[in-house]
Amino acid sequence: MKFRTERDGLLEALATAGRAASTRGAGGPGATSLQLALHGNHLVVTGSDPDLVIEVRASVAGDSDGVVLVPSRLLVDIVRSFEPGAVTLTSDEDEVRITSGRAEFTVRIPVGAEISRLSAAEGEGITLPTTLFAEGLRQVVRAALADDTRAPQLTGVLMVATDAGLRLVATDSYRLAFRDLAGVSALAPGSEVLIPARALAEIQRLVGSGSDGAEGKAEPLVFHHGELDAVFDLGEVQLTTRLLRGPFPDYERLLPASYPNSFTTSRDDLASALRRVRLMVRDTKDATTPVRIAFGDGGAELTVLTAETGRAAERVEGAYSGDELVVAFNPTYLLDGIEAIRSDTIILDVIDSTKPATVRGAEEDDYRYLLMPVRVS
Amino acid sequence: MAAREQSGGPSEPLPEEHPPAALDVLHLDMDSFFAAVEVQRDPTLVGRPVVVGGTGPRGVVASASYEARVFGIRSAMPTAVARGLCPDAVFLAGRFDVYGEVSRRLREILESATPIVEPVALDEAYLDVSGSHRLVGPSRSIAEALRRRVRDELQLECAVGVGRTKLIAKLASKAAKPVVGPSGVVPGPGVVVVEAADELDFLHRHPVRAIPGVGPRTAERLARFGVSSVGDLASVGRESLVRLLGASSGRALHDLAWGRDSRPVVAERAARSIGHEETFAEDIRDGAVLARRARESATAVAGRCRAGGVEARTVTLKVRFADFSTVTRSRTLARPADTASVIGDAACELLVGLDTGTGVRLIGVHASALVVAEQGRALQLQLFGGEERPGAPSAGEDGDPRDEIEAATEAICQRFGAGAIALLGDQARSGPRSGPAGPVA
Repeated sequence: MKFRTERDGLLEALATAGRAASTRGAGGPGATSLQLALHGNHLVVTGSDPDLVIEVRASVAGDSDGVVLVPSRLLVDIVRSFEPGAVTLTSDEDEVRITSGRAEFTVRIPVGAEISRLSAAEGEGITLPTTLFAEGLRQVVRAALADDTRAPQLTGVLMVATDAGLRLVATDSYRLAFRDLAGVSALAPGSEVLIPARALAEIQRLVGSGSDGAEGKAEPLVFHHGELDAVFDLGEVQLTTRLLRGPFPDYERLLPASYPNSFTTSRDDLASALRRVRLMVRDTKDATTPVRIAFGDGGAELTVLTAETGRAAERVEGAYSGDELVVAFNPTYLLDGIEAIRSDTIILDVIDSTKPATVRGAEEDDYRYLLMPVRVS
Repeated sequence: MAAREQSGGPSEPLPEEHPPAALDVLHLDMDSFFAAVEVQRDPTLVGRPVVVGGTGPRGVVASASYEARVFGIRSAMPTAVARGLCPDAVFLAGRFDVYGEVSRRLREILESATPIVEPVALDEAYLDVSGSHRLVGPSRSIAEALRRRVRDELQLECAVGVGRTKLIAKLASKAAKPVVGPSGVVPGPGVVVVEAADELDFLHRHPVRAIPGVGPRTAERLARFGVSSVGDLASVGRESLVRLLGASSGRALHDLAWGRDSRPVVAERAARSIGHEETFAEDIRDGAVLARRARESATAVAGRCRAGGVEARTVTLKVRFADFSTVTRSRTLARPADTASVIGDAACELLVGLDTGTGVRLIGVHASALVVAEQGRALQLQLFGGEERPGAPSAGEDGDPRDEIEAATEAICQRFGAGAIALLGDQARSGPRSGPAGPVA
């Protein structure tokens, strides 16, 4: 195999596919390698681990066809280190030669490597509204469980077909987020699929719809799924993910019917105050030092108190209706919810110090973020 | 600071206030343990002077029954001297495997009261019961219950001292012992509780030798300055003691003489652990399944930690492979924990580092380096399920009813034996081959 191409385009293709390649060495040498397949001027870069495959197509100046596996991390690092300009990649049975300018790398091909493939999903794809879907992902993926051993089904985002459209739901059992995408029909009525949050985070990244509103790739996002896998096509990238199996928690039962106490305030004011008082929690993995919020007339008093570090307090102005009460939260979880809101004005609904609270936007009925308090005994 | 008036006693003001007066330290000491075990196993010895120890020319007495003590026989005395005092006594070489076995059963009884047991010898241990009051009651009740169980289950006698510190508990257990007088053996009270307010009076009555660290030589040196009781010692200025005995032991003795003993009861690391192991009906290769099993064990361990009011600093994962080779991996937690999620996370992280592809027949999770659970800890509540089963929704809105049930179940099992009660799900889940594991070797 031999081809020539520009450094920037190649790097983007390799880095994107490389995000599916495992960095932990799980899944054998194939899972830490990228496969490069050249046919004419069409290069296909594939990165995969047993649960996720990312394939990126790129146009190059092909010389001779072929297929080769290269250690993922190393290849990405090599190409990234080059100056912008032409890169030539040549392979034979044992090694790959990568040259650019006066730099030349010869990399041995991993022995016995083979990349995993997921079964291709069947059926017609459905085109999703790319930006809207990515925005929903931004709001929901954050509530999924990161650790995959405790309850694998909670590491996914549930996509449910509703009467009004498509609903995305995720929960790690401490908080729960859902977003309704009105008018989006991605699934057969009444059906649902559980997609790993990791794959959806990649979709979100590929679409590049950041919170600053800058739109990245607005190409159509085509989705189809089978029994075991789901496929997303976005421009030159195809992402295939294994589906998770349920049962997903019966989340609708968790939504409180009413909230007696409601705090309305500026999203940014509350978020900045939380970020400040959270500085007192030195251990980022410490899930037990809460921020105590005392709700009362005209505002809320935020306090973080730790035995080791000290104390931080800040008052946030806002409209409060309800009983005076104190509720403690994990500040990071609360901040996650607040940052997911699009509206400038947010409403924090609380019941009491042990019942779920809700974060929502003032004019944002399609999104809810539920959060359990921290019990302080 | 106002000087404390103490009539007749030393009048030096306390340099600092005492910590809160929680009587949480127990010292349990078996009555002439080795001799008593021998008597219990051979009814013909009942009522006779029995001496266990080296029977050779240079042997010393390890243990003497109260009947033998009436003749003046004491521990550590050369056996030859003991023979001279009472030629008719039964002299036995001692069977330490038997004593070890009895000691192990004693340890089980002690650990039913609190996980924080610090063994000092085969027949002696300190207990920290600060986490046990909710389930078992006040320290005096714990002490009396232990004494009853030792009598009922081991058919042996013991004395228990209760105090705020190790020093006081130890002196109290001595005060609870039978007394050997010229007219015979007078039974002791069995349990002595020294209230914080009476502590200094009690302490100061003792001879200086009662204080750990005061050996014959130090006692002799102190006696030259007219110091014979702990009260005398307390009345000597700190600086004078330092000049007399050196900086470290001078300060240490001064502190102890004033009841300041900060030595914690430390559960012995290796043997002091709470563990749960499961042997599988078939070897398991699937890492995800193993992780789930590890979490189940972690859940059981966490429940027992909470029931005992302790938190673990160290989590150990034990894995026995298909070929019976066994590895253990430990990690120290950022902060002590008693929740299934934290202990389970640690166990799973340790599991990830192991190659389980050849099959695993047993997995165990042990919590060790136990400390008394911090009060007022914060707990992140959950939307559904117990803390342990995020995947199983339940109506529980206020967090973790299951934790409470687990804790209650543990308490019942501790008092009435494992298997006295189990959650239905646990019975179905754990199968016949699983159960609490013994201490980690």
